[in-house]
Amino acid sequence: MSTVLGGAAKAADLTPDVRAAVRDLILVLADSKRLLGMRYGNWILGAPELEAGIACASMAQDEWGHARLLYALLKDFGDDVEQLEHGRSAAEYRSIEALDHEPGSWPELVAINAFVDMALTIQLEALTQSTYLPLRQRVQKLLEEEAFHAAHGAAWLRRIGRAGAEGQKTMRAAVDAVVPVVLRWFGPDSTRAHALQEASIIDSVGSGMRARFVERAAALIRDIDGSGFSGLEPDFSNFDESTRRTPGTAPDERTIAQIRGDRNRAFLMD
Amino acid sequence: MIYEVFARKSRGEPLRHIGNLNAPDDDLAKVYAFNTYDEEKWFDMFVVRRDMMHEVFNRLDSGDTGERSAVLAERAAGQRAPVTP
Repeated sequence: MSTVLGGAAKAADLTPDVRAAVRDLILVLADSKRLLGMRYGNWILGAPELEAGIACASMAQDEWGHARLLYALLKDFGDDVEQLEHGRSAAEYRSIEALDHEPGSWPELVAINAFVDMALTIQLEALTQSTYLPLRQRVQKLLEEEAFHAAHGAAWLRRIGRAGAEGQKTMRAAVDAVVPVVLRWFGPDSTRAHALQEASIIDSVGSGMRARFVERAAALIRDIDGSGFSGLEPDFSNFDESTRRTPGTAPDERTIAQIRGDRNRAFLMD
Repeated sequence: MIYEVFARKSRGEPLRHIGNLNAPDDDLAKVYAFNTYDEEKWFDMFVVRRDMMHEVFNRLDSGDTGERSAVLAERAAGQRAPVTP
């Protein structure tokens, strides 16, 4: 086994169990970022002010870039990257369930911006010292771009919270719909999760990342209506660890068709 | 509220006015400035509320009606206002 800088330079250097789990994690992150970019992208036109639309364009561009970079890593695991990016059905996606449907209102998009983006960031932060070096080398750049996504989400959350009782209620409802899904997404403290931690691929199992999320999210949620939130204990009885989803669920087919580029297939030259 | 955006390319260079934007508060003004003006590689960037900027003087308000009309004419023609002591 060749090791450089106390880590694995190639997927082939990882043990088979760990390799499969790392591949799953990268695909979960890539798909989630691809979908998050689509959700932001849909608000480039129609955000409450021009500058917010520009922010959505910028965040969409960042997320798509991150997804691209993460998909590209999977070549090292023997995946056909082109097929992953443009050849899958909705049922094959591993994006976080909170992104399965187009947000119906700006507060719903803000809840996603604040808490789904935060969850992906916490997951990436847990990889900054990863012994799988190709991942570790890329995570820092991704995190730098994420800082402004968090600032946008937080500023809008506070702004809607300040807008009066009606705004607080709408914002709170949107947040309460997203947060439990995100808490469950970090996954159980399973044998698989512990194996990744022991191999120092990741610095924490699900409960550790959940605790980081609760700490960061609580301060934001207090800013909406002054009330706190309890770290709800997720139910993992119907949770597939490799996809981080409930089996049988999928993001909306229309969005996946856009990602695949179904309407533009005739223009593909190669 | 309107915010003015300033940036520079390197340490030591004077701050340059690069544009403005609309934002409801300082937090969003900072985010919007980054999103809107990040295409170049700036060394640093600042926003300031336009109504927080104190005008020291303005040649148009100098009371010199002759100069005022000359300046306005040049502005209309797309030229820079003359700098005269």
